[in-house]
Amino acid sequence: MDLPLGYLFRGLDDDQLKRIAAVAREVSMENGEQICREEEEAKDLYILKTGAVELMTKVENDVELPISILQNPGDIFGSGVLIAPYLYSLTARCAGTGILFRIEGSALQKLMGEDRDLGCIIMTNLAGHFLARLKESRQEIKIHFNTLLRSYR
Amino acid sequence: MEQEIQIRLERHDGVTVFDMHGDLTAFSEPFLKEAYNNANDEGARKILLKFQESAYINSGGIAVLIQLLAETKRNNQQIGITGLSEHFKKIFHMVGITKFAKIHNTVEEALESLSGS
Repeated sequence: MDLPLGYLFRGLDDDQLKRIAAVAREVSMENGEQICREEEEAKDLYILKTGAVELMTKVENDVELPISILQNPGDIFGSGVLIAPYLYSLTARCAGTGILFRIEGSALQKLMGEDRDLGCIIMTNLAGHFLARLKESRQEIKIHFNTLLRSYR
Repeated sequence: MEQEIQIRLERHDGVTVFDMHGDLTAFSEPFLKEAYNNANDEGARKILLKFQESAYINSGGIAVLIQLLAETKRNNQQIGITGLSEHFKKIFHMVGITKFAKIHNTVEEALESLSGS
């Protein structure tokens, strides 16, 4: 199975990628379908093959804020399977009928435990991804503060 | 992954149109600021934000938009929005942006509303 290469698996060798692909299963998704919910137990990691997935966060009174749209083969969500307390940090909803690869968190953790290099590469990639998201979140906070401060002047 | 925004300014019937291509995120701030400063230098009183229907606007993009709307309110400028997909029209209603800017279904409708006011 040819797994599209997302940020999480960059730097793995062919053998390592084959072992990841061996635990991946194709699942179809329909437009509007909720794939996982924020704060739900994270059991599976997902890799986009075709279609689109929107990531949202709940604010209040059922208002959801859009966080990101995943449209490229290899885009990944559900990384909560790798970090305690193993909860999804966002809600993922299908924004365009397509296909996902689903990897059970327990299977991925087992591979990472058996091959420490594989585990190290994955966690390093995950850290880089989180840093980029943190920078974006900080930028957003700065904008909100700027708006607030200017409203007082 | 989001596509970086590109903004082209056009003038129609006294309305300055921000023709926006790409996605709106927190990193769009300098581009939107530059476009707004250029519009202000030309004395814009009425502004139309024209999105592509395929545009993605995340929470950071909404923050940038709110910042712009606050600025236009301070400067007594009128502002309208058009080109949004139904998905984002709903989100804009939910977060209250429609209290500060009217959302129009078409560019023609927006220009008629803004230039007539």
